[in-house]
Amino acid sequence: MELESLKSIWNELEPLPTPEKDGELILALLQKKSRGPVARMRRNLIRELLLIIVTYIPLILFYLVEFEGRLSAISGLVFLLGLFFCGYYYRKMMLLKEMQCVSCMVRSNLARHVETLKKYTRFYLLAGTLVIPFTAIYCYAILRWKLPQASGIQLYHRLSPAPWWANSIYWLLLLAPLTIAIYYLNAWYINKLYGRHIKKLQELLREMDEE
Amino acid sequence: MLYPDLQEAFIPLVNQHRGILHKVCRLYCFTETDRQDLFQEIIVQLWRSYPSFRGDAKFSTWLYRIALNTAISDLRKQRRRITLTDPELLPAELQDIQYSGEKEEQLQLLYKAINKLTEVEKALTMLYLEDKSYQEMEDILGISQNNLRVKMNRIKDKLRKMTKEATYGIGKP
Repeated sequence: MELESLKSIWNELEPLPTPEKDGELILALLQKKSRGPVARMRRNLIRELLLIIVTYIPLILFYLVEFEGRLSAISGLVFLLGLFFCGYYYRKMMLLKEMQCVSCMVRSNLARHVETLKKYTRFYLLAGTLVIPFTAIYCYAILRWKLPQASGIQLYHRLSPAPWWANSIYWLLLLAPLTIAIYYLNAWYINKLYGRHIKKLQELLREMDEE
Repeated sequence: MLYPDLQEAFIPLVNQHRGILHKVCRLYCFTETDRQDLFQEIIVQLWRSYPSFRGDAKFSTWLYRIALNTAISDLRKQRRRITLTDPELLPAELQDIQYSGEKEEQLQLLYKAINKLTEVEKALTMLYLEDKSYQEMEDILGISQNNLRVKMNRIKDKLRKMTKEATYGIGKP
């Protein structure tokens, strides 16, 4: 079969005109939400952020009001974590916003998609890893300086008779392998979520560029 | 929120070019459900981008970009891969077209061949079959014309070979 005859068959593949029916169909579709990957990621982010807000606010209030305010340092920790997550979701949302330009040329859109998705996953990995040592150090500080006040006795020193610098070293020794483990766990999870997608987009881009 | 004035201009324009959208869906999806999903996604993306359409490019060029960008970068899991083209699996609106036995066979051969191409090759093949110039292809895809010519020659050879094999049974045991 010659390619020119393929063209003629292809060009006969026009749908029959039914303007009223199609107009209604298109109008109905305009009211639907996007089900593309970026839109789904954005919706998931908003849901996660709402979940953080709904769970963190009562926690902050609880530790601020209960125990005569002696455990307000925990409120501070939850508040700081909440702020961290707000910044985290904001950055992710901005990256998702610039991820796609569907009306751009296909090649430039693909390049933009790959580049932004890589930034997104790097940020995800970095933030997801740093939050662990940050929380652990803050918890250590609460135990070290706030717990004795809360209990009214030198509980910290009863729990741990070693000098403060020795305890700090123990914490760091525990924290370092934990952070490394979290880093690899995050890297594995992020790769599971986005690895195949990034690889596929990179392959498409390479195919477009090669001569 | 919907904008009645924009809608009034948008719907007839898209309706006029819906054949292109159905063809893109047919090329990139293997099941009717996937095709409907992709069609919906392309319409949503077109509508979202429509307010920023300034008419610098032709409407069809703009539409091709959005349709192909959506189809190529939306790597949703295909529900079921069907490599043989059954006429009943054609988009609903295209099923009404009556073909002679020979044309039907040729149409099946064409889709069978195209289904074996990569996503990028499918896009190029579609633009070639739509009789687009290399300049228009460059405007849509962002690939240089020299590169397009090289790729197009390779694809034409592939298609020739595949349709020949299917017609005459060359290369089959």
